[in-house]
Amino acid sequence: MKTRSITLYVNGEAYSLNVAVNRTLLQVLREDLGMPETKYGCGTGECGACTVVVDGRKSILACLTLAATMDGANITTAAGLEKDGKLNPIQEAFISEHAVQCGYCTPGMVMKSVSILAKNPKPTEEEIRRELEGNICRCTGYVKIVQAIQKASDAMASTC
Amino acid sequence: MSELAIVGQRIPKVDAKEKITGRAVYAADLDFPGMLYGKIVRCLKYAHAKVTKLDLSEAAKVPGVVKVLGPKDVTQKGYNTGVLDLMVPEPVGQLLGDIEDQVLFATHVKHQGDAIAGIIAKTEEAAERAAEKIVVEYEPLPVYLTAEESMKPDAVQFTPLKPGNRAFQLPAEMFPNNIYGWGDAEAEMKNADLIIENTFYTPKCKQCQMEPHAYVAYVDDQDRINCWTSSQMPKLVHNKIARLFQLPMTKVKIHQTIVGGGFGGRLGMIGEPETCAMAMAVPGKYVKVQYLREEDWIASESRHPGKYYMKMGFKNDGTPVACQAHFTSYKGAYYTHGSGVAFTTGSWLIGMYKFGAMNYKGDTYYTNQAPCGAFRSYGNAQTSIAMEQTVDEMCYKLGLDPVEWRMKWHKGVGDDGWCLGFKYPSCALDECLQRGAEAIGWKEKRVKYANQTGVKRRGVGVAVMNHTSGAMPMLLEHTAVQVKINEDATAEVILSCSDLGTGAYTSLKMIAAETLGFGLDEVHLLTGNSDASGFDIGAHASRTCYVGGGAVKAACEDAKKQIFDRAARQLEANVDDLEMKDKKIFVKGSPDKAIDIKTITSLGVYNFVDPATGKTIGIPGQILGYASHFAPHNSPPFAACFAEVEVDIETGEVKVLEAVQAYDIGRAIHPPSCEGQNEGALQQGIGMALMEEIYYDKNGLALNSSFTDYKMPGPADMPKFTNILVEDPDPIGPYGAKSAGEGALANPPGAVLNAIHNAIGIMMTEAPATPEKILKAIKEKGIK
Repeated sequence: MKTRSITLYVNGEAYSLNVAVNRTLLQVLREDLGMPETKYGCGTGECGACTVVVDGRKSILACLTLAATMDGANITTAAGLEKDGKLNPIQEAFISEHAVQCGYCTPGMVMKSVSILAKNPKPTEEEIRRELEGNICRCTGYVKIVQAIQKASDAMASTC
Repeated sequence: MSELAIVGQRIPKVDAKEKITGRAVYAADLDFPGMLYGKIVRCLKYAHAKVTKLDLSEAAKVPGVVKVLGPKDVTQKGYNTGVLDLMVPEPVGQLLGDIEDQVLFATHVKHQGDAIAGIIAKTEEAAERAAEKIVVEYEPLPVYLTAEESMKPDAVQFTPLKPGNRAFQLPAEMFPNNIYGWGDAEAEMKNADLIIENTFYTPKCKQCQMEPHAYVAYVDDQDRINCWTSSQMPKLVHNKIARLFQLPMTKVKIHQTIVGGGFGGRLGMIGEPETCAMAMAVPGKYVKVQYLREEDWIASESRHPGKYYMKMGFKNDGTPVACQAHFTSYKGAYYTHGSGVAFTTGSWLIGMYKFGAMNYKGDTYYTNQAPCGAFRSYGNAQTSIAMEQTVDEMCYKLGLDPVEWRMKWHKGVGDDGWCLGFKYPSCALDECLQRGAEAIGWKEKRVKYANQTGVKRRGVGVAVMNHTSGAMPMLLEHTAVQVKINEDATAEVILSCSDLGTGAYTSLKMIAAETLGFGLDEVHLLTGNSDASGFDIGAHASRTCYVGGGAVKAACEDAKKQIFDRAARQLEANVDDLEMKDKKIFVKGSPDKAIDIKTITSLGVYNFVDPATGKTIGIPGQILGYASHFAPHNSPPFAACFAEVEVDIETGEVKVLEAVQAYDIGRAIHPPSCEGQNEGALQQGIGMALMEEIYYDKNGLALNSSFTDYKMPGPADMPKFTNILVEDPDPIGPYGAKSAGEGALANPPGAVLNAIHNAIGIMMTEAPATPEKILKAIKEKGIK
């Protein structure tokens, strides 16, 4: 199997790796970099549990992304949102709106929310629901997740 | 209504932060030094076959492979992944015919996905490559996908223990004539003015919890099997693993990891037996087994699908005269919950309405599909599809309003619930129906949608339900809790209850803090450690708040009593004259002469002897509260679900526009968690009504074992939702609480289907009511 040398910037830190070209970003994050917060939910790009964010705004599915194609990429995972122990507004909203039940979809949901609000700071409810279609939650019926994103949107709007 | 300090508050969930930051550790996230990977090799090409040749020698040679295991390399002892067998006395188990017909690696493959071998390797890739090198030959056998097929006299027998492939029917020794209910429904039916008779089909739905199954097992240097699992029932798994491998329970430790959703899908065991067997083959090495998502539909347990015959007879004024019902389900390949759902499906029917006579029969037959197990509401969703639609059909025929009829004829306080002889201690269903009807605009919409033309037709429907809070008296209900009081008057509550994401830990902690009179930060829950905790069934039958919470309350009361007794001695007062405020105890009316609880607990631990006098200060002993709590009842919750749909009569598509769930919760210990249960259950209920089913080809191979093709309602499909918690405290539940976990999945299927009926005038007897089925029905029956 061919390998490729890449540098990934994950949550602000640089990692130099030599990866087999068939290795997914999900495998690299979880197994090579020891970052298990990005989840395996289906491995086929259907559930969104592996969602991470590139350059602060573009959401991608790590299970369908070949790590070898991500040389130089700036990736944020769920573990990279806290700053000095302070949660970001989306994380705060997920807590205050009780949008977490089993939590397995949560890292992907939170990262997708980051992307939604980065691209569209004041989404309508319909826009939020459309954007979330790639992230499956079986616990919440999406009700409080949508409420959390709306709350985060308001909180972030009021700080700028 | 609350003089309660903590119960009822909308506090953040105790586990929310770790799940949001991604620091919560699920089983698949575990990583241990030198960890190996176990692969369970499955038969994927046949749903029914004998293994005629199994050669693992080439697989063993693959670089990185440590061990290969065939049927003869592991215990041949049978087991049952379900847990009902542990929850009834042995004689009852015998009567019911509970059996242990599962083995680790099958030689008689009974479903696609049945395990035939195991591979342990240094990497997942090596294990996969080795799996490809396994030489296996099969003798295919006929495939049975329905009870009708497998019950035929010439059918291949799944097990000699179950002739005719009937895994279970209600036994005549416990249910005369195999009937559960009351009266002679056949005879009484003759007094009916109107009879509605149909056979409904309810589908094989999958829990689709977001966390795929994953386990780690490890035999340590004290020869203990350690197993990390997110089973809903760690203490029962503890018992079952010990029994399977014939070890004392002290030689098995279950570490429960965070449960990434359950819904019954991890009730009991799934992959723990194979994972532990693999670890036993390589003692001193950790072995991780991770299921692929695609394996979920074929190698773990689903809802019981089947045919639900329902015949109801009524007088012209709507009086319910008699009901004869029979649910025959397709068991799948193994017994698991054979005696469970076949019974409960009828019990929810029995608990609902005041029929003059009610006769229910339930049975289940083996089929060549993944075994059925437990899925949220355990037969109640199936009952909703049949019972609620039959009632509505009667209402149309007799010109009665479905809400009014239900208000008049539902059972209530003092009536027999799902378990005859156990009467309802509380019932707020009238208020649920009233508030729910108002919230959806029932009266106006029923008028508005009465005579529609046009391509898009709307309708509103209602469905009610009764469920349970714990499974006594049919099943054991027991939770043991220890409350260890630290010297600084903080409490460690030690138990084996599970939180599947429901908010149970938050609720149990709130109950503990409320009962002790401590702050939330002064209470900690220790869970998921089978060494530390006493017995608990685990999460099923919606028992955690009611039974687990009842146990927590009792254990905390025990601890509090000990504290008060010591305070009484210290204050030289009568314990009945004491009260507590802000963790200080004093004689009522004399708050200035208080003793701090912390003084009592500290002196209990640090009880020094004065060397000069030989005397001690304070009363010695670390305080430990304890309760081995057996639930005294099962206080069923009720609920009314309303749905408004829009049906496109040209495409058959159904959009659920709006829904209401008005739920008789008793007391919402943690309201956001109760709301969350209603919200999530609605998604699953709509899915069952409209789109969810595992499909098979004629060879029994699953056609849609992926999220690509097993469709569930997504965020843009979910309707506007009004979530009403009706609080009418139950006299028995802790702080008046009844259960929340399953009930709200029982009635959405009936509500959605009844709404479709209202929209197009057709009763959809087959769920899911897909666009194809709706168009077919429109074609066959026409639209009025």
